[in-house]
Amino acid sequence: MQITMLQAVLIALWTGVCLAGMLLGIYTNRCLVMATGVGIILGDPVTGLAMGAVGELAFMGYGVSQGGSIPPNHMGPGIVGAIMAITAGVPVETALALSIPFAVGFQFVLTATYTFATTLSGFATRALDKKNFRGFRIAANTTVWVFFIVGCIIGLVAALSATGLEAVINLIPGWLSTGLTVAGKMLPAVGFAMILNVMAKKELIPFVLLGYVLVSYMGLGTMAVAITGTAVALLVFFNQNKAAAAAAEDEEVVFEDGI
Amino acid sequence: MVSNALTKADFIKTSLRSYFLQNGFNYGNYQGLGYANMLYPALRKMYKDDDDALQAVLKENIEFYNTNMHFVPFVTSLHLVMLENGTPSSEIRNIKMAMMGPLAGIGDSLSQFVLAPLLGTIGASLAYDGLLLGPILYLLGMNIVLLIVKILCGLLGYNLGTSIIGKMTSEIEKISNVASMIGVTVISGLAFNFVKITTPIQYAASVPGTEEQQIVSLQSMLDAIAPNLLPCAFLGLVFYLIKVKKWTTIKLVLLTIALGIVLSVLHIVA
Repeated sequence: MQITMLQAVLIALWTGVCLAGMLLGIYTNRCLVMATGVGIILGDPVTGLAMGAVGELAFMGYGVSQGGSIPPNHMGPGIVGAIMAITAGVPVETALALSIPFAVGFQFVLTATYTFATTLSGFATRALDKKNFRGFRIAANTTVWVFFIVGCIIGLVAALSATGLEAVINLIPGWLSTGLTVAGKMLPAVGFAMILNVMAKKELIPFVLLGYVLVSYMGLGTMAVAITGTAVALLVFFNQNKAAAAAAEDEEVVFEDGI
Repeated sequence: MVSNALTKADFIKTSLRSYFLQNGFNYGNYQGLGYANMLYPALRKMYKDDDDALQAVLKENIEFYNTNMHFVPFVTSLHLVMLENGTPSSEIRNIKMAMMGPLAGIGDSLSQFVLAPLLGTIGASLAYDGLLLGPILYLLGMNIVLLIVKILCGLLGYNLGTSIIGKMTSEIEKISNVASMIGVTVISGLAFNFVKITTPIQYAASVPGTEEQQIVSLQSMLDAIAPNLLPCAFLGLVFYLIKVKKWTTIKLVLLTIALGIVLSVLHIVA
C-alpha cells in the first residue's frame, strides 16, 4: 500500500499532537491512541486498533523508568509499528517485534530533547532579570512546542519511508518472520511483569490468582473480570473499615478499664 | 503590597493550568519553569502594579520542582493562600518542597500504576475485538478522572489549608488500594489472554496391548495440568528477572525476542 502525501502530513501532525500530549499529561502518547489514529488516517482502523491493543499491553509498564534505564517509547509500535502492519500487511505481533529498535531510538531522541531544553532555564532567568515577563512565559512553554515538532518529524519520516520499510520487511526470511511473530506474542509478558512489579504488593497476590482463574479457567471477558475484581476489592475495603472501627472500640474499652 | 484580589475562579484557573506544568520541562529544573508559569496569571493579579514583587516571586519559584502534574493544584492553591496571608517565602518554600515527594508518590501510583493500566487493559481488549470504543473509552476515562482530580485538589488546597495534608493522604491511599486490587485482577487476567505461548511438540506412544500408535501432544498434557501453563512460566521468569535480578527493560525485550526466534526455529514453541 502506498501512503499519499496528504496521509503522510496527517500522520506527521497526529504524531506531533500525540507526543506533545505526553507533556500535557492527556495520555495521547500511548500506543493504543496513536495506532488507532494511524489506522484511521490510512483507512484501516481495524489493523490500527489491533496494533494499538498489542502494543499498549506490551508497553504498559514502560511509562515507568526504573533505575535510570531508558524505557522504549510508545511511538515505536504506535506509529512505526502501525504503519508497518497496515502498509506491509505483516501480522501485528511481528510489527510489534520489528518496531522495538525504533521505540528504543525514539526514547534517546526525547532524552536529548530534555537535555537540550536545559538552556531554557537560563533564558527564563535572564528574561526575569530584565522584568521581561513575556520572555519568561515563552521559555516556560517551549519544550511542548519542541516536542510537537519532534513528533511531526518522526511521523513524517516514518510515513515517507513506509515503502522502504516494506521492502526491508519483504527481505526477511520465512523462519525469521515466524520467529518474530512468536516473539511478538511473548512480548506482552514483559509489559505485564513490569507493571505487576510496581503494583503488586504481597497483599495483592490473591488478586493475581483471581485474575488467572477468571480468565484461564472460566474464560471471562475483561469487563466481567473487572466487575468481579471490583466486588472482591469492595468486600476487602468494607471489612478493613469494620476492622478499623472494631479496633478503635477495643482501645476505648481498654482505656475505661484503665480508669 | 499584596492585595487579596484572588477569587475562587482564580484558584480553579490556576488548577487547570496544571496542564502546562511540563510545557517547559527540562533536565535543569524539571517542572520549575512550569510551576512558576502555572501561578503567573494569579500572581500578576495579586501584584498588579508591582513588577518588582512579581519578578521576585517568579524568580523564587523557577527553581527545581518535580511532582505529579494532576495533584500539583493542591500545592499551588496552598501556595496562593499562603501568599495572600503574608506567609514568609521561606516557609512557603518548605511546605512546597515537603509536599513534592509525597504527592508525586501518591499521584504517580494512582495515575500511572493504577488508573492507566486498568483503563489501558480494558481499552486494549475492546480494541483487540475491533471496537473503536476501546481507545475512546481509555482517553475519555483517563482525562475525565484526571480533570476531576485536578479540580478537587485545587479546591482542597484553597478550602482547607495545610492542616489537611495528612487526612487527604490517607483517604487517597484507601481509594488507591481499592483501585489497585481491581487493577491487579484485570492485568493478571489479561496477561494470560495476551501472552500466547504453545508448544507443537508431539510424540508417538504405542498403546499397550495393541500395535496402534497414538499421537500425544505435549500441549494437551500441559493443559490437563493447568491452562496457560507456558505463559504462566514465562511471566514468572520475567517477573523474577525484574524483581530479583533487576534486569532493564531493554535486556528483557531482547531476551524475549531472542527466545522467541530460537524456540520457534527449534520448533519448541509456535
